[in-house]
Amino acid sequence: MLAWLTDLIIAAGLLIMTTAVYGMVRLPNLYTRLHAASKAGFLGIIPFLLAATTTGEPGIAARLLLITLLLTLTTPVAAHAIGRSAFLRGERLEGSGSIDESGHDLAERR
Amino acid sequence: MHPAMFYLAVVWLVALIGASALVVIAARGPLVRILALDTLTLLLIALLTLFAQATSAAHYLDAALAFALLSFIGTLAAARYASEGSLFS
Repeated sequence: MLAWLTDLIIAAGLLIMTTAVYGMVRLPNLYTRLHAASKAGFLGIIPFLLAATTTGEPGIAARLLLITLLLTLTTPVAAHAIGRSAFLRGERLEGSGSIDESGHDLAERR
Repeated sequence: MHPAMFYLAVVWLVALIGASALVVIAARGPLVRILALDTLTLLLIALLTLFAQATSAAHYLDAALAFALLSFIGTLAAARYASEGSLFS
């Protein structure tokens, strides 16, 4: 019973992680790739950490809690750092229908 | 966890890691590479957590914790270097 539950949770995590990597491969733009990698990546690793709690050992559970806390705190900071660095470098918003509202004219001209 | 699911998940995660590594190699500009490396370490953390669950061993999670910390610091340092030109302003 517990094995089936673990399988289900890991399958969900794999699906979300596949969405994250697929978005990072196929999206046309650094900014949109950042969306896929940070948001879907963090959502996708949560099921893996959750599934590992089914072993029932307190050492493993404590470490999982620590990893979850660390990832929750550091994923937005890292994503923000990359986005800020991209803006300061003037990375362009390629891809059809891009609109840049910052006034720096980063979207492609159509 | 059933062994079949464990093997499937390992193979699938290795395929995702390969796809992410392809983005690192074939990207234009440093920032996409930094992002792809961050995603790569996240996938490696997932793989290590899978092993920790399968073998009920806690030391894999120590490695996963170290990975998370190092990738965070490395992403911040590389992004700052890519935009400012130096780490300390």
